[in-house]
Amino acid sequence: MTRDVPLWWRQGARWVWILAAVLVAASLWMVTRAPIERIMGPVQKIVYIHVPSAIVTLLAFGVTFAAGIAYLATKQWIWDAIGAASCEVGLVFASVVMITGPLWARSAWNTWWTWEPRLTTFLILWILYAGYQIIRSSLKSGSKRTISAVMGIVFFVNLPIVWKSVEWWRGALHPQKVTMAPDMRQVLLFGMLAWFVVYVAAFERRLRLEWAREAASREAHAQTDSDLLEARIR
Amino acid sequence: MTFLLVMKKDLRLFVRDARFLATLGLFSASLVLILSVAFGPVFTEPARLAAATVWAALFFAGVLGLTRSLELEGESGAGDALRLSGADPFSLYLGKTLANFALLAAVFILLLPLTAIFFDVGTLQALPGVLGVAALALIGYSAWGTLFAALARGLQARELLLSVLLFPSLVPLWIGAVKLTHAYWGGVPVVEVKDWIKVMAVMDVLGLALAAWLYEAVQEAGE
Repeated sequence: MTRDVPLWWRQGARWVWILAAVLVAASLWMVTRAPIERIMGPVQKIVYIHVPSAIVTLLAFGVTFAAGIAYLATKQWIWDAIGAASCEVGLVFASVVMITGPLWARSAWNTWWTWEPRLTTFLILWILYAGYQIIRSSLKSGSKRTISAVMGIVFFVNLPIVWKSVEWWRGALHPQKVTMAPDMRQVLLFGMLAWFVVYVAAFERRLRLEWAREAASREAHAQTDSDLLEARIR
Repeated sequence: MTFLLVMKKDLRLFVRDARFLATLGLFSASLVLILSVAFGPVFTEPARLAAATVWAALFFAGVLGLTRSLELEGESGAGDALRLSGADPFSLYLGKTLANFALLAAVFILLLPLTAIFFDVGTLQALPGVLGVAALALIGYSAWGTLFAALARGLQARELLLSVLLFPSLVPLWIGAVKLTHAYWGGVPVVEVKDWIKVMAVMDVLGLALAAWLYEAVQEAGE
């Protein structure tokens, strides 16, 4: 196993980064050109970052969940690396949601925070996956992968029931069905594409770090084995 | 019946550790006292505040109980012996869950009269209903808690991490427990909140199902 990923991967990653930069720049330009909403004014434009970030967060944690199942089934290190990489990037997007949400809420609902189902569920999600990062970083390498996989599965499986229960606890404020003007919807959909490509690019960088760690760990083990052999021969 | 043997073993370890049990009892009683002082001295909605207090106190006391049960296993080497016995991992989990359930139930039995006296709530007629709610909540709490405690085994500050992870995961269970206890203590008609029984039952089954699937992997990781 080499210290860095294969050449085709490195070259492909460069293009993904270029694509991400172009798409985000184009998306932000489109946001500035999008029509201003009649009641909320320019603050409504937060939606073009808030909603794509929320969707990317769920996707990222979904990848962690699937990778957790794959790791437990195969015990191959790459699935653990994929799960950990996706979870970390997902947590960054979840943080963006947690910051942009109250900014929107202040303007739309006249309060920074309300115990509204999606808001509450996202806060719970953020706490759980932040806990995932702390536990993962505290574990020894032997148990790290299995425990991370189990956390990735348990937290994600629990999500729908947390969502529904908070919805029943307190009525929903988020619109259940959104009707947007076509030119606004286009900006939103383009934003989703742009931030998804940013996720892919960041995920790739994080995965490459896991690759390097695995390669270094294998080298260290191989070195220890050869040192032991040498000592025994002497 | 391996799980019954494991449960008996865990309960025996709890009983032998009388100092811990006394501290746990005092700690949970102090939590009720702190919260009643914070909400009092005049309670505007006693049923609501009492329901919130009893479940908040039980949550924090429970975290200590869950981590202690794993510590005891490590201290006496019982965990290694159990794994070497070749017993089915789910039986081990079930035994530990039942022992944790008994410990949490004992804490609840202590907190219930304290809360009822401090907040002046509850009647004997309401007692079977409240005990039913407690059974549902504590099955879920011990099912999820035993799994999560096994995940956090060997970590530093595991009590803190357990509190951080368990409460958000068990939000549906806590909302249900508080709403139903509030209703049985006369806050609102029980029929208005009876759907929470289903939510709590789903959480109980989900916790046990996840453990049946994943506990073996968690146990192997801890070896």
